Amino acid sequence: MTAPTLNGVEREVTNRPLVEATDLVKHFEVGGGFLSAKRPPVRAVDGVSFTINRGETLGLVGESGSGKSTLGRLVLRLIEATSGSVTFDGQDVLALKNKELIALRSRMQLIFQDPVSSFNPRMTIEQVLTEPMLVHGVGDAASRKARCRELLDLVSLPSTALARYPHQFSGGQAQRIGIARALTTNPDLIVCDEAVSALDVSVQAQVLNLLKDVQKELGLSYLFIAHDLNVVRYMSDRICVMYLGRLAEEGPSDILLNEPLHPYTEALVDAIPSSDTIGRAREPLAGEIPNPSAPPSGCRFHTRCPKRFEPCDHLEPELITVGAGNVSCHLHTEQAALHRHQDPPEHSLHGEDPQEGATA
Amino acid sequence: MTDQRIDSPTGPVPAGATAAAVATAQTVGGVAPPLPPKRRLGRFIKEQPIGMVALSLIALFVIVAALAPWLAPYDPLAQDRTAIQQAPSAAHLFGTDDLGRDVLSRTMYGARTSLSIGVCTLIIGGLIGVLFGIVSGYFGGSWVDSTIQRFMDALMAVPAIVLLLFIAALLGPSIRNTIIALSILLVPSFNRVARGEMLRIRAETYVEAARAVGCSTPRILMRYGLPNLMAPLFVLASLNFAIVLIAESSLSFLGIGTPPPTPSWGRMLSEGSQFLEIAPWIAFYPGLVLSISVLAFNLLGDALRDFLDPKQRR
Amino acid sequence: MIAYAARRFVYGLLVLLIVTAMVFITLRAIPGDVVRVQLADSPGVTEEQIAQRTAELGLDQPVYSQFFVFMGGALRGDLGTSFQDNASVTAEILHRLPITLELGFLAILLGVLLGLPLGLISAIRKNTLLDQFLRLVSVVGISIPNFWLALLFITYLSLWFQWSPPLVYVGPFEDLSQNLVHMTLPAIALGTAAMASISRMLRSSMLEVMGSNFIRTVRARGASEWNVIFKHAGRNSTIPVFTLLGLQVGAVLGGTVILESIFSIPGMGSLIFESVQFRDYPMVLGCVIFYGGLFIMVNLLVDVAYAAIDPRIRY
Repeated sequence: MTAPTLNGVEREVTNRPLVEATDLVKHFEVGGGFLSAKRPPVRAVDGVSFTINRGETLGLVGESGSGKSTLGRLVLRLIEATSGSVTFDGQDVLALKNKELIALRSRMQLIFQDPVSSFNPRMTIEQVLTEPMLVHGVGDAASRKARCRELLDLVSLPSTALARYPHQFSGGQAQRIGIARALTTNPDLIVCDEAVSALDVSVQAQVLNLLKDVQKELGLSYLFIAHDLNVVRYMSDRICVMYLGRLAEEGPSDILLNEPLHPYTEALVDAIPSSDTIGRAREPLAGEIPNPSAPPSGCRFHTRCPKRFEPCDHLEPELITVGAGNVSCHLHTEQAALHRHQDPPEHSLHGEDPQEGATA
Repeated sequence: MTDQRIDSPTGPVPAGATAAAVATAQTVGGVAPPLPPKRRLGRFIKEQPIGMVALSLIALFVIVAALAPWLAPYDPLAQDRTAIQQAPSAAHLFGTDDLGRDVLSRTMYGARTSLSIGVCTLIIGGLIGVLFGIVSGYFGGSWVDSTIQRFMDALMAVPAIVLLLFIAALLGPSIRNTIIALSILLVPSFNRVARGEMLRIRAETYVEAARAVGCSTPRILMRYGLPNLMAPLFVLASLNFAIVLIAESSLSFLGIGTPPPTPSWGRMLSEGSQFLEIAPWIAFYPGLVLSISVLAFNLLGDALRDFLDPKQRR
Repeated sequence: MIAYAARRFVYGLLVLLIVTAMVFITLRAIPGDVVRVQLADSPGVTEEQIAQRTAELGLDQPVYSQFFVFMGGALRGDLGTSFQDNASVTAEILHRLPITLELGFLAILLGVLLGLPLGLISAIRKNTLLDQFLRLVSVVGISIPNFWLALLFITYLSLWFQWSPPLVYVGPFEDLSQNLVHMTLPAIALGTAAMASISRMLRSSMLEVMGSNFIRTVRARGASEWNVIFKHAGRNSTIPVFTLLGLQVGAVLGGTVILESIFSIPGMGSLIFESVQFRDYPMVLGCVIFYGGLFIMVNLLVDVAYAAIDPRIRY
């Protein structure tokens, strides 16, 4: 993996990734009160590992219900993980005490899908933007006000916005304010959770460009969560594809999207309406995403996979390194190599020998 | 669910009169963003004429209570041996009682007692109830919530008058103790409405945003919870004021509320009840004024509810 | 369903236990020694006698052990003895309870018999003059304090008909008509608020149901208006009324305290009132437990019955 180049603001440059998540698991308990039956937990995130480097954007895609928003919140410890670990700049996030966690929050922020509802309806924009500074004890009243103006300027909003209330803004404007709020305390990481999916397409582009500009200027890292592969492709250096609480595939954007290894990624790429796909036979994914409290055995995708074969329904594929990325699919695992000879799938292996990749 | 009542609008509600108040207040939740105060008042006048009448009555009640020393024609404690049990006349609009005291003046001063007890009670009971409610709601389903709610259930289980009788009897009759007893009476209803609202609010994106920014739990409760759950609390406060008026009079009527000689409607009623056949006005007028005041607060509560409830809008 | 009922029952017991503990501890925590208060009026009481009486009542023990002793007795149905005459608290309460239950039952009955039709008419004739009038009656009904209403009755019956309520209580088994004559006025005074609440609740829940898609579908199917109201809307809109009824039991029970003292009815209400005045703490404690238990039990029944009727309830 190449070290990311940093532009703009100077930051301490180390080779260590900014965020390292290892084997993150989140099971939501359902039922199980006093004298009432316990039901199996919803396995929203079920053993996911990834890293985010400094100045990098990691895209996270998947259908709704794949656990990608939960994953974003686990990294920020907005919800408590069932197991696994998250380190942020060397600190074990999940072991932090409440006070330390609150202090760390100034360095990691979140941008929401629905910006307007992410603001307290009874606070003016000035109060919204001042809140992080107040909480973290930054500056005095005058400097905080100056910072608010500076932030609004950065996201191209007039400072007259300060005295107004959130519901007086359009979605795009509100998302700019959301970005401004996230930037208030100069964070290292911003998790963008479907940050543009609620916006009109024309506004989407503006907000995406704003996010890119800000990143260039401040050297931020993004965890960019979206279901729209086009948007993720535009933003991300690397992409993780999630399916039903697990990573299906991970790799550099270009490679992952041009030569998808996992049939699920392939299906997602095929579904992108673009000039490339014109004339190509499309196989839309059949069926719904299965119930996350009773995930399918073996490979979780096997119920919908057009290329499933013998081991898929009972043997769970491990995440293995193939080329520049990682994939968890029996098409590429050693375990299944034997079966593949007996039952060859009609699938181009993108010129790479999977067995070589698997042993690498 | 760990707690059956988390999203169930039909769970146990406080006993007796406060139940209806809670049920009414609960319908107002998740109200649209605020309008500037002036425009809101304007719309209220236009949409809720009955509410306006009630509000005017309450204003009158407050003015009379506040200005009683200047408005009252007589000293409420002055006994006039020459005018005992006189029927209402030009000199004594509401008549005089068995000690020759002017019933109108005593009723005016009684409004003062009721109003001050009511305001203190609403503030104390409201603060405690709302505090427990928002903590309980924010931690909804956890042991904190369950513990608080079991204690609230216990408070609700005892009928209001019995609870009041018990507390007032323990502490002895005084205005301070009446306020304490009535405040405890109101705690569960405020708790319940605030808890329900907080359960709604804690699922709002802006609460998660506040946590992401690094706000502490107390800050979230105070800056994000409280301001957004005020609307149903206003409805409840109005209805609870009506309940406090009745409860205070009941206590005084039983002789364990406001001690003499402070004029209080309940005590005037109980004193007058001895002379119902010969001097009915002694009990009639304070009771009438009490009933009208209670009615005004109930009507205001209903009007506020209709005004704030988006479903009622045409 | 049975698990749900069992869970509600255990919760009910837990709440009753908390009620008992809170009342018990408050009683023990109050300033002023119970024994001194009790013996204060008797002349020439020595410290020795006070100490002896304290030990006799077990008041020299720590509060928690007193509580366990009390609970042990309570589980066997023994709530202690009265300070006034050493009579058994349980026996005295059980003697008075039926009288209060009769009054409460009559009041609730009245509330239901009048409240349901009023609410129904109000809902059917929505926004007509009749509806406005009935709504006014209802809101006035919940606003008039029951004791003032009772005083009005007494005053005007006496002024217009020279009739006063009897001063001596007669049990229903001795002379039912005499008993009902005595009970009617307090029952009306008590039942007015219940009637008003029920009619308000029925009207609003009825209007909500009538505006729902479900009723629109029934209407579209061509059901008669009578069928729509009584068969479909009626059944669905009485559920909140049912819940309210359980809660009204609390208000009615509370109301009996004042009305029993006005009409000199020797029920549990006048018992607790007298006991409070005499600082007869065991009796007060017993009464509070009984009031709490009654309220919890009624609402338990309402909740369970409700869950049995309404399949939407999650257990």
